[in-house]
Amino acid sequence: MASNSSSGNATKRLYILGAILCFWVTIVGLRLVQLQIFQYGQFERRAMKQQQRTTEISPSRGVIYDRNGHELAMSIMGNSVFSVPSEVPDRSTTASLIARILKADPREIEKTFDCPRNVCPVVRKIDPGLGSRIAALNLRGIYVQPEPKRYYPKGELASHLLGYVGMEDEGLAGLEYAYDSKLKGKKGTIVISMDARKRRFDSAEKDPVPGENLVLTIDEKIQYIAERELEQAMQDTHAEAGTVVVQNPHTGEILALANRPTFNPNVSRKITPAELKNHAVSDVFEPGSVFKIVTYSAALEEGLETPDSPIDCQGGLIVVNGLRIHDLHKMGTVPVSEALAKSSDVAAVKVGLKLGDDRFYRYIRSYGFGSQTGIELPGETRGLAKPVSKWSKVSIDAMSIGQEIGVTPLQLVSMVSTIANDGIYLPPRIIAGATKPTAGPQTIAFHPASGHRVVSTMTAAEMKKMMEGVVLFGTAKRAILDGYSSAGKTGTAQKVDPATHRYSQTKYVASFVGFAPVNNPAVTILVSLDSPFGLHQGGQVSAPVFRRVAQQVLAYLRIPHDVEMRDPKRLLLQAKAKDEDLNDNSPDHVGAPLDFDEDAKADAAASQVAKAEPTGATVLKPASQTIVNTRPDLNTLASASPPAPSAPTGALPPNGTVVLDVSDGAVVPSFLGKSMRSVIETAQTEGIEVDAFGSGLAREQSPPPGARMPAGRRVAVRFGR
Amino acid sequence: MAKRVSVDKTLFTVTLLLVFIGLVMVFSASAVMAKDRFGSPYGFLIRQFLWAVAGIGAMFGLMNVDYKRYKNSGVVFSLLGLTTILLISVFFLDRSHNTHRWFRAGPFSFQPSELAKPTLILFLSYFLESRTRQMEDWRHTLLPAIAPTLFLSALIAAQPDLGTAIACAAITAAIMFVAGTEWKYYLYAVAPLPILFYFLIWRVPWRHQRILAYANPYSDPLGRGFHIIQSLIAVSTGGFSGLGLMEGHQKLFFLPEPHTDFIFAVIGEEFGLIGTIVVLTLFAIFLYRGVRAAVLTRDVFGKYLAAGIASMIVIQALFNISVVVALLPTKGIPLPFISYGGSSLFVMLASVGVLLNITKQTD
Repeated sequence: MASNSSSGNATKRLYILGAILCFWVTIVGLRLVQLQIFQYGQFERRAMKQQQRTTEISPSRGVIYDRNGHELAMSIMGNSVFSVPSEVPDRSTTASLIARILKADPREIEKTFDCPRNVCPVVRKIDPGLGSRIAALNLRGIYVQPEPKRYYPKGELASHLLGYVGMEDEGLAGLEYAYDSKLKGKKGTIVISMDARKRRFDSAEKDPVPGENLVLTIDEKIQYIAERELEQAMQDTHAEAGTVVVQNPHTGEILALANRPTFNPNVSRKITPAELKNHAVSDVFEPGSVFKIVTYSAALEEGLETPDSPIDCQGGLIVVNGLRIHDLHKMGTVPVSEALAKSSDVAAVKVGLKLGDDRFYRYIRSYGFGSQTGIELPGETRGLAKPVSKWSKVSIDAMSIGQEIGVTPLQLVSMVSTIANDGIYLPPRIIAGATKPTAGPQTIAFHPASGHRVVSTMTAAEMKKMMEGVVLFGTAKRAILDGYSSAGKTGTAQKVDPATHRYSQTKYVASFVGFAPVNNPAVTILVSLDSPFGLHQGGQVSAPVFRRVAQQVLAYLRIPHDVEMRDPKRLLLQAKAKDEDLNDNSPDHVGAPLDFDEDAKADAAASQVAKAEPTGATVLKPASQTIVNTRPDLNTLASASPPAPSAPTGALPPNGTVVLDVSDGAVVPSFLGKSMRSVIETAQTEGIEVDAFGSGLAREQSPPPGARMPAGRRVAVRFGR
Repeated sequence: MAKRVSVDKTLFTVTLLLVFIGLVMVFSASAVMAKDRFGSPYGFLIRQFLWAVAGIGAMFGLMNVDYKRYKNSGVVFSLLGLTTILLISVFFLDRSHNTHRWFRAGPFSFQPSELAKPTLILFLSYFLESRTRQMEDWRHTLLPAIAPTLFLSALIAAQPDLGTAIACAAITAAIMFVAGTEWKYYLYAVAPLPILFYFLIWRVPWRHQRILAYANPYSDPLGRGFHIIQSLIAVSTGGFSGLGLMEGHQKLFFLPEPHTDFIFAVIGEEFGLIGTIVVLTLFAIFLYRGVRAAVLTRDVFGKYLAAGIASMIVIQALFNISVVVALLPTKGIPLPFISYGGSSLFVMLASVGVLLNITKQTD
């Protein structure tokens, strides 16, 4: 009985034991359901991260072509020098040897060895010739490897249009900046699935998408002419700055745009903010007499005047609201065309007063003043054309003669092109289009942006005639061409000192805007010189530049002559022109000087592009945060993978099965002739990081096959078809 | 008198199924590693297969040996003595991984701590059968009963192999419970645990870290939390139906010990919830048939022996799986029948042989 009861007790306890273990089984079962059903995929990202390695392949940056397919900006292979400071036996000797080749300060070179990473850049993207000379030194711990480098084959040519790029090929100014996303392309990747010991078992690749090429409306030859003549003018006049813009008036295409001072985009480290400034789009200045074209054409269009109707210049004096305005060329009653030719302020003010505020303002806006032209360049300002509501009593008098209004050179050339284009305004454009990366150089048919009529064909024709008169009989005799008729208008404006808000007594902006030939203009050309020393009138210093540029450009474009070559009458006119005949400067100022602060405020609101344009100060800073990704940096490797071989000193996981294969001084395998996929796979197997450039088969590698390489260093491989 | 009935075919089938699953999974989990280590993907599989053949041979042999023949002080104490000697001498012979666990003979190695578990079960069954009426006598029953367990567990814990030591203690507790130990004694046994915990775990840096890793594996995902995270990744990426045999990625050196302690994670990754539940169910059936055998056996020695063997296998399985799914902190306990490891497989199969013999003699 006792045995029975004890066995009954034992049975009960066996069931309890079974129940406890059953309960445990249930808990484990529920946990499995939770992990495998409800948390399914939650760990996937983590699994992917540790099982896959992604290698980035840099795309090639798009080429910038001129309208005829000449390369203005392209990418070539440069050389970068890196050091592994721990391997460098004697820092100062090593540094001085490198410094001798680079013609640099040895102390500066030595300083580069003190970077917090295992591999430090010494100098990047230098000429391959220098690179191979450094490589030939065979210095321990110094490595030279190719890296794509932006190259501007024409040096300073069109530098303000092209801009330049930073160390990571990121556009920092000009079109390189504005079209960075188009030009840079998309990075390719090779994703390799790997076990914990970095052996691949699967791979997938995505080719890099090369950047698109840009085709500009610029003509390299015309640009060259413009740059050369502007450079000559800068030397002759000692101006502080200058701009030449050449436009096709029938399409709005900018054929050349040159600025001084300028820079060489190949040496981006030395660029100063002053050099970087694209005066053609970002300078705001009072245009002076050139603006009389607006006044007169509006009056003609409104039927208030005709070129031949008489206008009384009142002996060169007018009093408006108590202010006296003088003319340099004192005249009585003359035809309107002659008043323009001699740049009479008195006449212009009277014409302006006839127009009235509202009508005048409408024409000002219609010609594009006060708004951005929408050119594809960064940093464009809209100038300052204040609405009628903000005008004072004398504003119309001031604006009639080009004061109290702020314009950019580009707005000015577009206004004159409107006359040249029979009264239709076309916005200036500089990009013809983008082409497929593989297309190579090709020309693109340019489609003008939609324009609008400002004045009638009749008015435009009359204005052309009157502006030809300015050249032949007025202030712009030095713009007379040989074999071509030409028309235009001079302007000379005293600069406003932005600090004091007062007119400078010594600094002028001398400008000339004209076109040729008169009846069917091929080009509109603006010449603007900022603060020329000595002679400073538009007709004296800027008109000759126009003549030299126009003469060469028209010949280059094979424009048929419309007047006799070496016409003695025209030559005589030009020769007889005395400096004082060419004065068009208004000695008097009607209104208050232009408030540039207001202009700046308006721009800040209107133009994001202008704000985004990096200033010189930020431009010169190295883009440090982007360096991390592309530097041969072991730290990024180590953080990416748990048992990375590049963390030799890292703590071992408690379990011994995770083996770190620390490769010290691995031998570089040969990648040459292999496909990108096989290169990356081989590299992953060997524990080497690869910087891949281009596409196709491996053509070039650095370090070369067989070389010894410290752990974690990267091999650069260039691929080509 | 006990009737002569046939052996429990369910238990027999479940055991062979688990061994079969084990061989497949050892191959899947170890092929890459074996190629790395032995130059052939079958390196681990062949060893495991040979041990399985030997183990099944032992199972068949013991299945036909009347278990009552072990109810003999000579058998019990010589086995206890042999285990003690082996556990002590392993300290002087083995120095792999800074631990003292294995005897090696050519390609084979033997882990004496595996022997400790059936030895303790046999001793407890033998001793407690004679004390059924004096279970309350702590001086003459309880202390002598747990003394060998404490001694052997201490030796094993010193190897150090805390997992097996804990398993020994758990098995002892199970048999003692079936034998009728009052609940209050369990309270007494649990009372000093905090002190033991302090000295054996908190003060031993790597165990301390394992506990911390268990509490929050993501505090140090590349270090202490690495094993647990890798295991959870494997199990959860398996989802419902798994990636398929041989398709798992985590065994490729991410999972520590994919063919031994973490083989269940590989099952989870490659066969998903279906696979893990099948394995869990097989162990549950094993539990049911083991308890059933113990209940149906009238002989008290056989009852305790059956309960001991069944709980030895099921408790180890539950410990192992609980570690894999992060319900318990990491410790080295193999999954019976499935994990790679000859001595464990051999001893487990031999024990099942004894259990099967008991089922033959039930009512």
